Amino acid sequence: MAALESGGESKSHARAGKKHKKKHRISIRIDMTPMVDVAFLLLTFFMLTTYFSKPQTMELNLPADEKAQVEVAESNLLTLRVTPDGEIFWNTGMEPAHWIEVKDLRKFLVDKNKENPKLITLVKIDREGKYRMLIKMMDEIAIAAVQRFSLAPMTEYDKRQVQKARAS
Amino acid sequence: MPKIKKKRLGFKLDMTPMVDVAMLLLTFFMMTTQFRPEEATAIDLPASHAPYKMPETDIMVVTVNKEGRTFMGVDAQALRAQLFGEANKLRPSMEVDRDALRELLIQARISNPKLRTLVKADKDAPYGPVEDILNILRQVKITRFNLVTELERN
Repeated sequence: MAALESGGESKSHARAGKKHKKKHRISIRIDMTPMVDVAFLLLTFFMLTTYFSKPQTMELNLPADEKAQVEVAESNLLTLRVTPDGEIFWNTGMEPAHWIEVKDLRKFLVDKNKENPKLITLVKIDREGKYRMLIKMMDEIAIAAVQRFSLAPMTEYDKRQVQKARAS
Repeated sequence: MPKIKKKRLGFKLDMTPMVDVAMLLLTFFMMTTQFRPEEATAIDLPASHAPYKMPETDIMVVTVNKEGRTFMGVDAQALRAQLFGEANKLRPSMEVDRDALRELLIQARISNPKLRTLVKADKDAPYGPVEDILNILRQVKITRFNLVTELERN
């Protein structure tokens, strides 16, 4: 349809062109400078305000039943206790706790897991501590590719252990 | 002595392609920009190396701010109206206490079983409230959820 119509039109135009002399188009010149200026201004604004980085997320799976008890041999249990001021104490089984620096944690976890592939890591963070410590611990655990870990509440017993480790 | 003024050569540069490109970029940035939705509370995210991008649709967010106060929000307005009442439809999240949070989480999941749960806490938030929320999530059988972080650069 459209093609047909336009075809017809062009024919009539052609005929008209033959009869009359083509009118001179008056050339219009609009100064585009202000528009372009504004466009650039907007461009700069959007370029500066846009941020492409979306927040990342860390996936966490919790066991469905909190009463689920898993029997673990003492020697296979690595406990990491985090104090309110962000210090980390570790121990295996029932041994006394030792202090470890945060930056050594990654290597330590890798080594421990290489030593004992059946190791289960238990993370206990003090309720008075900061949320960032949880993220830090989860991050280190993920980087060290520790598969088996669990979160547990910090009990009075744990706090005593930490105090003992501090005193010694 | 008097120098003969040189005739300036009329110099014309066709700006059209540059302006075209500029317009193109402008359109691109205008289309892609999405302004950060206003939040009920300011959150300073902790940094991690977690590789997953945050999902954008079908999410419910449990937020813990610096003082340990808890907020909850969902992305769909219809669901918001259902959970928090018609008047609060436009608010991204509402402050809730622990018991209300449990009920809301259950209701939201019934209304939209595809909802994914995000926990978004300030890096200086006390761990206590966060631990409570993790326990609540476990109680309402949301065993898989995401913690929102920022990408750590190093």
